[in-house]
Amino acid sequence: MRISLKWLSEYVDLGSLAGGAQQGAPLAPAQPRSAAPVLAAADEVARRLTAVGFEVEAVERVGQGLAGVVAARILASEKHPNAEKLSVTKIDAGQGEPLQIVCGAKNYQVGDVVPLATVGTTLPGGTRIEKAKLRGVESFGMLCSARELGLSEDASGLLILDRGLAPGTPIADALGLEDVLLEVNVTPNRPDALSHVGLAREVAAILGQEVRLPRPALREAGAPAAEAVKVRIEAPEKCARYAARVVEGVKIGPSPQWLARRLEACGVRSISNVVDATNFALLELGHPLHAFDLDKVAGHEIVVRTARPGEKIVTLDGKERALEPDDLLIADRDRGSALAGVMGGGDSEISAGTTRVLVESAWFAPSGIRRTSRRHGLKTEASYRFERGADPGMVIPALDRCAALIAELAGGTVRPGIVDAHPRPHQAPAVRLRWRRPAELLGIDVARDEVRRILAGLGFEERASDADGATFGVPSWRVDVSLEEDLVEEIVRTKGYDAIPETLPANAVRTPVEPADAQVTARAREALEAAGFAEAVNFSFVAERDLAPFADPAATALRPIALKNPISADLAVMRTSLVPSLLRNASTNRRQRVEDVRLYEIARVYRPAPAGAPAPAAEEGELAGVLVGRRSPTGWAGGSDPVDFHDAKAAVAAVLEALGIDARWRARGGAWLHPRLSAEVLGADDAPLGEVGELHPRVAEAFELPRGVLAFRLSGAALVRGARLVPRYAGIPRFPAVLRDLAVVVAEGVEAGAVLAAVREEPLVEDATLFDVYRGPPIPAGKKNLALAIRYRAPDRTLTDTEADAAHARIVARLRGGLGAELRG
Amino acid sequence: MADLLGQLEALAKGAREAVGSAADEKALEDLRVRFLGKKGELSAVLRGMGALPAEERPRVGEVANRVRDEVEALLAGAKSRLDARKLEAELAGPPIDVTLPGRRVLPRGHRHPITRATEDISAIFARLGYEVASGPEIELDWFNFEALNIPPDHPARDMQDTFYVEASTLGDGAPDGSVLLRTHTSPVQIRAMQRLGVPPVRIICPGRVYRSDYDQTHSPMFHQVEGLCVGEGITFADLKGTLAAFARAYFGEGTRTRFRPSYFPFVEPGAEVDVSCSICGGTGRIPVRAQGQAGEPAQTRRCGTCKETGWLEVLGAGMVHPKVLENGGFDPKRYSGFAFGMGVERMAMLRYGIDDLRLYFENDLRFLEQF
Ligand SMILES: [Zn+2]
Repeated sequence: MRISLKWLSEYVDLGSLAGGAQQGAPLAPAQPRSAAPVLAAADEVARRLTAVGFEVEAVERVGQGLAGVVAARILASEKHPNAEKLSVTKIDAGQGEPLQIVCGAKNYQVGDVVPLATVGTTLPGGTRIEKAKLRGVESFGMLCSARELGLSEDASGLLILDRGLAPGTPIADALGLEDVLLEVNVTPNRPDALSHVGLAREVAAILGQEVRLPRPALREAGAPAAEAVKVRIEAPEKCARYAARVVEGVKIGPSPQWLARRLEACGVRSISNVVDATNFALLELGHPLHAFDLDKVAGHEIVVRTARPGEKIVTLDGKERALEPDDLLIADRDRGSALAGVMGGGDSEISAGTTRVLVESAWFAPSGIRRTSRRHGLKTEASYRFERGADPGMVIPALDRCAALIAELAGGTVRPGIVDAHPRPHQAPAVRLRWRRPAELLGIDVARDEVRRILAGLGFEERASDADGATFGVPSWRVDVSLEEDLVEEIVRTKGYDAIPETLPANAVRTPVEPADAQVTARAREALEAAGFAEAVNFSFVAERDLAPFADPAATALRPIALKNPISADLAVMRTSLVPSLLRNASTNRRQRVEDVRLYEIARVYRPAPAGAPAPAAEEGELAGVLVGRRSPTGWAGGSDPVDFHDAKAAVAAVLEALGIDARWRARGGAWLHPRLSAEVLGADDAPLGEVGELHPRVAEAFELPRGVLAFRLSGAALVRGARLVPRYAGIPRFPAVLRDLAVVVAEGVEAGAVLAAVREEPLVEDATLFDVYRGPPIPAGKKNLALAIRYRAPDRTLTDTEADAAHARIVARLRGGLGAELRG
Repeated sequence: MADLLGQLEALAKGAREAVGSAADEKALEDLRVRFLGKKGELSAVLRGMGALPAEERPRVGEVANRVRDEVEALLAGAKSRLDARKLEAELAGPPIDVTLPGRRVLPRGHRHPITRATEDISAIFARLGYEVASGPEIELDWFNFEALNIPPDHPARDMQDTFYVEASTLGDGAPDGSVLLRTHTSPVQIRAMQRLGVPPVRIICPGRVYRSDYDQTHSPMFHQVEGLCVGEGITFADLKGTLAAFARAYFGEGTRTRFRPSYFPFVEPGAEVDVSCSICGGTGRIPVRAQGQAGEPAQTRRCGTCKETGWLEVLGAGMVHPKVLENGGFDPKRYSGFAFGMGVERMAMLRYGIDDLRLYFENDLRFLEQF
């Protein structure tokens, strides 16, 4: 909400905040007056409002730096000889001689008075005005738009001033342009503060003052309004009150300067005197109003009803909207003429020829307005306030204020009386406050007198009290207060949180236990980081096509979980694997010339939940990694072979080892992996733990990656199930070991794992390590030589060479018989 | 006998001279063989002992042993002198190039700054007795909004642009009701209270949250840490003390906190919590030292982190709303509690000086490797 400090100061005395006296004045500052004391209070007002919960996000001083800008009359205007879009004007700036100014705007007429920035002026935006030659024509200053003067965002043309202003008058003085605009963040629970009077009420409460409400001078004449229009509410649950006044004999025209500028300063465009009057009353009192051309209201009858099936309406923005029975309409005898509380309709709009105006002031139920506003994508000043909750007590005062303004600005007379349909009168709620409650919630005692003073200052009326507590009537504008806790908040908000001490809770504490999955995650992180991986954090949503290669062929769900309203197709479905995100990361990094990539991520993946699950989706942890590039960092002392399957396997093995999981590796991972260069990882009882390997060449291509990218993924749930986080001590061997090497030649298809398993079958083998794999002469083609180091040991005696030789011979026999191995060397 | 003794004496003398002039280990080894070897001079002398009468042998044997000991000692002494000289020479040589980089087999791993900040925050609250809780990210509207006192059609829903889930992709198992991506970690408050059933409740919940807003300063996914403490007699003063303790632990001793009234539907009263700016120390200005200038810097510049206010908004907090306690299964007449929430990205930004939200999710290694 944008607030003009000068405007605010009409309802509350800000002088005490600036250290000077300040006079309040009625509407329309006819003659300029000094704004200095008000403006000096700006920072203090901002601070105090922030302290009571209305955060002032910006304090903007306007109308300063306009020293060289004067009112100037346009005497003549001709086309620029050399430029299609420019004009050459003659200007009376009160200096005797007319000035020649080149100008690009088109919205003026000869005779208009406009602002002229004279040579030597520096405008608020920093532009310095110099004598210039524009396309060969000399120009002695610049005619300005409101934006160029920093007065509003309006840059559509020159700011047209009152023709009565004498040329040469400095406009900052003449127009009282100096002001401070406060950008106030009003939270959704406080619609009552979405106006100057609303915030003035808060400031008055802070200062212990009474807010000065405007007192409209309403002069009624003619036949009663009730004879001119009838009002009927067919949907009282959506419209608790509809009140109307009729103003006759108006003349539609532009608003006076001061009014237009006020609206524009608050971000509202000036349209015409009648429409501006409704907007002025809105910004002043916070209550949305609407003006209809009464002569376009068929049957001179207003019907507040829900839309009929198939009904349509063209709103003021020119769009035709198909309505639903939940939409509330302001209709006449024949058809809808406004979306109630949201936007007017084109048919009954105020136009240049309007002479009879019907002014609407109503109270609409918030939830209905919100649904309509959202359904039609229409967010207006009116809907914004109604959906948060308008003040039922403001319906009539706002109507009177607006009608009086219209009569004042557009001429005409207000017909006597209000046509008021009021099926559901507002019941101000009463809330009981127990005296001890503030202390219970806040931890400080607040004296009863102070409670009463604070609540009275905010408009709460004490209705009854006893030793235990008191009951307070909630003012009509405070739609947010209904509970005892709400009153406590009012008290502490006013006192300030600084009054509360700092203590620590004295309640009992459960000993925090680290959940198993958190421990597994922590161990896995350490293992992967020790293996040189950097952690990535990716969005949980990805492009659906990225997940296709990772689909589980056994899964029943055809699609991943999808968003109804994704940011884009690339962020549209919840990922079922972390791998695609990591592949994108690898690709991005390589494009940035980072060639060596080792990334991991630990996060949830999302699948449809089984029936009866407590949550809408099954969310399980996954651990995934990608690696590509060199095995070791480039250096002077080592090689830089590219990583291969066994580097990826080492990383997975490091994680499993850190978790105490024994794993088995079975050739061929999922469809996303190279069928020859990948494995499935199996845990106890061959439970699947995950997959590891080189990307399938087609998948690599889809992710714009070269061949030779390795990746893995492990199921978090399976890791948690299999983890043995507490190691078991198994004793240190007391007798010496016997070491023997063994070299065997086996067929290419025999896996090292099978050879090692056969070796380990021998009971005296304590451990066996594969230390070399060799292919090539003199080994025949299609075979390979495996070299193993075997450690024999008996737990209860020193092994003799004879025993070790015998064991070794048994192994050789087993390898020969079972795997067709031949002993070598 | 005298002849043999003379030979031994000559041997000892020869050894003294020869060992004294030996230049290297090789020469020493040759001398050992010459004097003490199986075919060496001492052996040759001892062979002559056989011809002696029995009563003279012990005397010659004694001398021979003494000579052997002396030669061995001479050789050992010479060896240790040679070793010492060699070591000296080695130590006195030119140093290696210590500027050559260390030998690395694997690069160093890196933990993402969001994880680091989350772990730091969690560790502080663990010391205050808070247990880590978690809840679904794909959540029911009821837990994310309604149970937190945000009914349908409530304007507070505008505070959080919500991603909704396509119901047809959830499968038959999904519970009834509108399903969304949680917009905050607050639904875990309800789930934790329902799970625990009785006080005391002291939990924090770090996790991913989602809002449909994507620009320079908004990410559609980000991280929060939620905290909840419920019991008998819990007050706003306890909330202030807890968050002040946390702020000092996270941002450093001397950090001040400031509570401002604000609105979150699930707390009453509610507050926004500022901490004194960790960059400028809460002054709003940063000293600028001119080149070569000593003493107090005369000039200061604006602190961009706190926009010269001296304060950083980092937390939302308040007393748990009675309706929220009820929805969690706790009697608001008997129990009270406080809740708070913070954005992890912001906490990490302030700690590490990260100036662009988007860096967190691009996973550029040149960024990640700085942590
Ligand atoms: Zn700062």
